[in-house]
Amino acid sequence: MLYALMGLGLSLITGVLNIPNFAHGALFAVGAYFLFSAIHVVGNFWLALVLAPVGVALLGLAIEYAGIRPLYAAGHDYQLLFTFGLSLILGEGIIVVWGPIGFSQLPPSILRGGLDLGFIFYPKYRLFVMVMAGLLVLSTWLFLEKTRYGAIMRAGIENKEMVSLLGIDIHRLFTAAFALGAYLAGIAGALTAPIRGLSPSMGVDMLGIAFVVVALGGLGNLLGAIAAGLIIGVAQAVVALYWTEASVAVIFAVMAAILLVRPQGLFGIR
Amino acid sequence: MALLQTETLTKAFGALTAVNGVTLEVQAGTLHSIIGPNGAGKTTLFNLLTGQFPPTSGRIVFDGRDITGTPAHRIAHLGLARSFQRTNVFPALSLLDNAWIAAFARGRSWRGLVWRRSDGYAEVAERARAALADVGLADKADQPAREISHGEQRQLELAIALAAAPRVLLLDEPAAGLSPDEMQKMVALVRGLKGRYTIVLIEHKMDIIMGVSDRVSVMHFGSLIAEGTPAEIQRNPEVRRAYLGGMVAE
Amino acid sequence: MSRAWLAVLAAVVVLPLTVRHAIATEIWIFAIFGLGLNLLLGYTGLLSFGQSTFFGSAAYVAGYLLKQYAINVFVALAIGVVVGAVSAALVGYLCVQRSGLYFIMLTFALNQMFYFIAYQWTTVTGGEDGMPGIGRPALLGVDFRNPLAYYVFVAALFLLSLWIMKRIVESPLGKILQAIRENDVRAEAVGYDVPSFKLLAFIIGGGFSGLAGVLYAMLFGIVPLEAIGFVFSGNVVFATLIGGSGSLYGPIIGSFVFIWLSESVSVVWERWPLLLGVAFVIVVLFFRGGCVEAWARFWSWRERRRALEGIAQ
Repeated sequence: MLYALMGLGLSLITGVLNIPNFAHGALFAVGAYFLFSAIHVVGNFWLALVLAPVGVALLGLAIEYAGIRPLYAAGHDYQLLFTFGLSLILGEGIIVVWGPIGFSQLPPSILRGGLDLGFIFYPKYRLFVMVMAGLLVLSTWLFLEKTRYGAIMRAGIENKEMVSLLGIDIHRLFTAAFALGAYLAGIAGALTAPIRGLSPSMGVDMLGIAFVVVALGGLGNLLGAIAAGLIIGVAQAVVALYWTEASVAVIFAVMAAILLVRPQGLFGIR
Repeated sequence: MALLQTETLTKAFGALTAVNGVTLEVQAGTLHSIIGPNGAGKTTLFNLLTGQFPPTSGRIVFDGRDITGTPAHRIAHLGLARSFQRTNVFPALSLLDNAWIAAFARGRSWRGLVWRRSDGYAEVAERARAALADVGLADKADQPAREISHGEQRQLELAIALAAAPRVLLLDEPAAGLSPDEMQKMVALVRGLKGRYTIVLIEHKMDIIMGVSDRVSVMHFGSLIAEGTPAEIQRNPEVRRAYLGGMVAE
Repeated sequence: MSRAWLAVLAAVVVLPLTVRHAIATEIWIFAIFGLGLNLLLGYTGLLSFGQSTFFGSAAYVAGYLLKQYAINVFVALAIGVVVGAVSAALVGYLCVQRSGLYFIMLTFALNQMFYFIAYQWTTVTGGEDGMPGIGRPALLGVDFRNPLAYYVFVAALFLLSLWIMKRIVESPLGKILQAIRENDVRAEAVGYDVPSFKLLAFIIGGGFSGLAGVLYAMLFGIVPLEAIGFVFSGNVVFATLIGGSGSLYGPIIGSFVFIWLSESVSVVWERWPLLLGVAFVIVVLFFRGGCVEAWARFWSWRERRRALEGIAQ
């Protein structure tokens, strides 16, 4: 479910803005660290969970405004270099601010321990994350499908000229899409922190997976990203039961295999 | 004998049938025009002939050989060369290199592809230069394609097709977007090529067609509605109703 | 011999006199790596963000054989080229059908796959600690453990690589790849099987990357995990772009600037990748077009000034 969240955010950014966002993983990591610090400042997990992703979204807003906007006409090579440079800055910035050693973050006390589901003993917090991520994906989906802004964003993926002809400020649309994508990455990171802990490399590890999800789901295909995120998550969980070491590599192997059979991705249109 | 023929060729894009049961014969050495209003399916027909995409049904036979479904790059090797309606050149390359690329593709052998210096292929360079000379661009051979005028780019478009030493030349509205002056030049150019090549010409401007064509086919909503000599076509009542009426008004 | 070649030769001679041998050697290795990428990026217009896949795979395989069996240096290099080319063929086969963002993302994702394999397969690769203990066996009585001897060896291989790449880009293939970059639809229409040509470019680029990878492993005596990581892929893209991807010699200049930059900032601060990231961002925002273009702009500015002065007089 977290993969779906990451994939959805990235798919939104790549789809609407048509740029390769290599800073997406870094935004994920920043989300986790923001949560960590916010908890220390406000002393409340729930409030921190609200604040952290908003912080990431604001960061995304600034990045888009200052850095990406001048680059729309510049070609993918320079866009890539920019977001890649950004991911280095954010990744190293995390080390500078929080140090190279990771942290562990406990879930709030009410979600500690496990829940007996009869057939399996499952940690409460993981259940919470699943529900949370599910709700987020659902609400993002509803936002895109049912609201006016969502419709504009989807139109931005399909046909940018059309959108600007309709008199909508395309730059504001881009900024909004980037901020929303960043928000989703940030909240995914924040939710992950109590499960896997925090480490400076967490962003890069997630970045590859997010790209796999988008590649499989189809660029800018939001439903595809959700489905692909679920498939990848399940595949990884299953493999992890039998062969833990390979569980990450298997994600990519699954992608390679699917692309061999269906070069356009699972739900690819373009 | 027909050099190029199609049998009930059909292409459907979803619910839209762009080319509908077209049966066409192009005789060797002739200039065969296909006319019809915009959206009649002429360019789609070309895309089928050159293998840009496969037909939904029907057959394409070139020189007695069934080429239906053959990929574009193979069809080019067989000697079917096309020009595009929208200028479609290699902008950063010199005019000579634009033609050279097409000439090399049709070369007898690709020996030395990776290793021989590209200026070591005398006959390829010669054919490329000849193609540029044919369209009157020989003196600009070393300029990059993006720097020449729109009219000249249309001429280059033609030169790229010629450089491939084609057996059939498919020209997709070579005069599209040209000024009256430039158009006269282009018509003279096409007239000059007549007889040297088997030519299939797409056009929607009647006046250009009638002077140069040996045969004319009329396409309307994806289907052929008439075929004959230019004079026959001008007399054909159905054509007048479906097409000429509109053109005269224009 | 052209002026560019004279400049390169001069650099080969002068470089070891001015910087540490290891750094000088690394510059040429990175330049070979950049040459391989530039065939894709500059000539074919394919932005591969996974070049370290081929670099790292070759370094691991040849490094392992060097370590375990102390194979001949040339055999190791040949193996590296083959491993680089084969891994590029595998990756390329999956990627060349796609274009634009998809292509970039796929090269990157497959890079990550190789990275995680190397990361997890600790018995061979050493995982995060890298694969140490790679020697430089002597060849014909020349002891490559001497840094200067190894520098000369690498520089010679670089010149050979440059010559080979020059031949390739001046061959029909070079022209065809440029035509594909300019307009792949038309290239297909005049008779070139575009995906096959892209794959060929990938394989050649992979061979160069593989060569660079083995030389790198022998230079430092270790294959660090980073050698197959995506940061490495990004670095070579950066180096090629700042050098100027439009020219054969661009990646060489880029390699100079990049290695010099990273060496000097790494002395300043332990967290030097941050500064590097800042450098990336600055270059992208303010110096697009790279050194070659900046140089050309400088020259045209000077010419214009001279012309103006001429008029004034």
